[in-house]
Amino acid sequence: MINTQGMVAETATKIYTDLCARDVPHEAEAGQYPQALWDALTENGLPLAWVSEANGGFGADHDEVFGAIWASAQAASPVPFAETLIANWMLDRAGLSPADGSASFALSGHTPSADIPFGMHADKIVLFDEAHHEISLFDNRVAVRSPEESLSPDGMTQFIFSGHLAEQSAKTDLSRRGIEALILTVRAVQMAAAMESALGLSIDYVTQREQFGRPLSKFQAIQQQLAVAASECAAATMAATQAASAIARHSDDPEQAWHEAVVAKVQIGHSVEAVTVPFHQVHGAMGYTQEYDLHHYTRRLWAWRDALGNEHLWSKRLGEALAVTSPDDIWKGVTTGQWVAS
Amino acid sequence: MQRFNFPVVQPDPALEDLRSELQAFLRQEREAGNFRPEPECWMASADPEFSRKMGKRGWIGLTWSSQYGGHDKSALERYIVTEETLRSGAPVAAHWIADRQHAPMLIAHGTEEQKLDILPRIAAGECYFAIGLSEPGAGSDLANVKTKAEKVPEGWKINGQKIWSSGAHMCHYMVALLRTSPADGRNRHVGLSQIMIDLSLPGVTIKPIVDLSGDAHFNEVYFEDVIVPDDCLLGEEGGGWKQVTGELAMERSGPERFLSSYITLETALYQLSGKMGSDSHARLGKLIASLRTLKGMSWGIANLLDQGVSPETEAALVKDLGNRLENDLTQQVRAMLNDLPSEDWSPDMRRIMNIGVLRSPPNTLRGGTTEVMRGITARQLGLR
Repeated sequence: MINTQGMVAETATKIYTDLCARDVPHEAEAGQYPQALWDALTENGLPLAWVSEANGGFGADHDEVFGAIWASAQAASPVPFAETLIANWMLDRAGLSPADGSASFALSGHTPSADIPFGMHADKIVLFDEAHHEISLFDNRVAVRSPEESLSPDGMTQFIFSGHLAEQSAKTDLSRRGIEALILTVRAVQMAAAMESALGLSIDYVTQREQFGRPLSKFQAIQQQLAVAASECAAATMAATQAASAIARHSDDPEQAWHEAVVAKVQIGHSVEAVTVPFHQVHGAMGYTQEYDLHHYTRRLWAWRDALGNEHLWSKRLGEALAVTSPDDIWKGVTTGQWVAS
Repeated sequence: MQRFNFPVVQPDPALEDLRSELQAFLRQEREAGNFRPEPECWMASADPEFSRKMGKRGWIGLTWSSQYGGHDKSALERYIVTEETLRSGAPVAAHWIADRQHAPMLIAHGTEEQKLDILPRIAAGECYFAIGLSEPGAGSDLANVKTKAEKVPEGWKINGQKIWSSGAHMCHYMVALLRTSPADGRNRHVGLSQIMIDLSLPGVTIKPIVDLSGDAHFNEVYFEDVIVPDDCLLGEEGGGWKQVTGELAMERSGPERFLSSYITLETALYQLSGKMGSDSHARLGKLIASLRTLKGMSWGIANLLDQGVSPETEAALVKDLGNRLENDLTQQVRAMLNDLPSEDWSPDMRRIMNIGVLRSPPNTLRGGTTEVMRGITARQLGLR
């Protein structure tokens, strides 16, 4: 289970409960950005939770912050809270000050362009340049950007970066795997949380909707479908929690959490189809409408499972990494979560 | 909101020493030719000689008091032992069931005399138990059991039949769910009791049932006027249903529900070393992600059980996911092995793969079918 206790998680839960009721994601999508929600998060310093105290943040336990991310995803957060947390963490790990305002992030290999979630909303963009071990901060307005087709209501924007336009740049000790570990874990926690919420909607719907003179929930075919989906949700939460716990254990060297994060990515990425199909099926046509809430979760799940590449790509990466270690190493990883690096 | 209770528990380094000891022993036994690894070893691969060796080393009866021949260790240490023996495909079926569920049952409900007599023999790997739940008319509908125990001056007189009793032909006792009084109208859960039956008593007949692979590890067990003394009633008279369902969390959440076919994967990993193509990498990555996740869930439950919490729904979730996974594992490994010409498969690989395929159907049946597991989950979700 994700730890939702502690000041950071509880504050975030309260803010999302108060300011992100079910109409808010609908209004956001219609173009009414929930500024009050973002302001409340900022006033409480939550986007700085992963920034060290020396750098103006409050260096909260990783554990607690994952609880806050859980709350945001259960509310179908239409503001880039998780993205700003990640971006500020990257800046902090290069000794740079946190972003002024909201932020999103990109990992760049050798190309100067990247697809960025919340790209049209975030004030700043943080880029990891793998080739130069550098983290750079850009103002959103100076980058060349164009909205991409996106599965998620949060949007995806393509950016073209010109190095000389960066506001700040600094070397970082983070490796690509270290950054991947954190991003994949954040997405894993968001996906597990969204699945739980969508399961809740499905249970409510089938217990209220009647056909053939009785609630849908009384049909065994419906019960068994949702029981299978619930087992996938439970597995997703476990995988996300194991990854979050590995990140918390290895906060100084997140690369050590890479395997647990990839396990979560692969497990949950595959679960998305296994849950969104029955969730939509039991909702009938109602679940396919814009008016109903289900798509706030399912569209985000479809987008998040693609983050940094889809589950098929990451299954292969994990398999490749494991295949060069020994069967003893693999067994040790499965049973204890201590993976031998490859 | 988080619907299910699966705590994430970090591995305890102290447990890892025990793991190393197990690994060394199992490697040595296998290399000495004392066993041939098999999938589903905990159900179908029994060797009393091997069980006695495990007993001598203190790896049976870990969780109970040394007063009764146990080793005063935690359920987590027992978990490590079961996990390592499953990984090795070792012949542990003889003692598995007694160690897992009947010894704890005797500790909870047995007389002092029974505990002193039987528990040390279980811990020594010498005394085995069979499960007496299913009957010809009571499979998934367990409450339909008809085998009767009737009160007589000498104790209880038993008549009827149990079926699918794994290992009964080599077991010393069976703990059976029996009707000790009639159902109360439509409530069939009342009037059932758990009774321990010495299988060497007159009136007990055990007939093997041959499975589709030619093995005969399960049985029909007939009772004809079998008399057992009063103290063989375990727990409360009429409380059998509650006791049986209470044991299920322990029975359904252990590593045998998702690691039974791991030996197939591990054997293939040695075979495919350096030869895996990208399709196999993807299959391997997905399998390992699922195995690691299931381990987390099962380990979380083991920790709850160790604290005296018995989460029935979580156990049902592990069994459903785990059974699907272990059957899928066999299929994924079949596909992975295409990276190797079949004439290059080792004899062990072929044997293990064949056993894995042949032994896959009961995974999703025994200990409660997949459909029953989903029914339990659906009830917890508020759907029934």
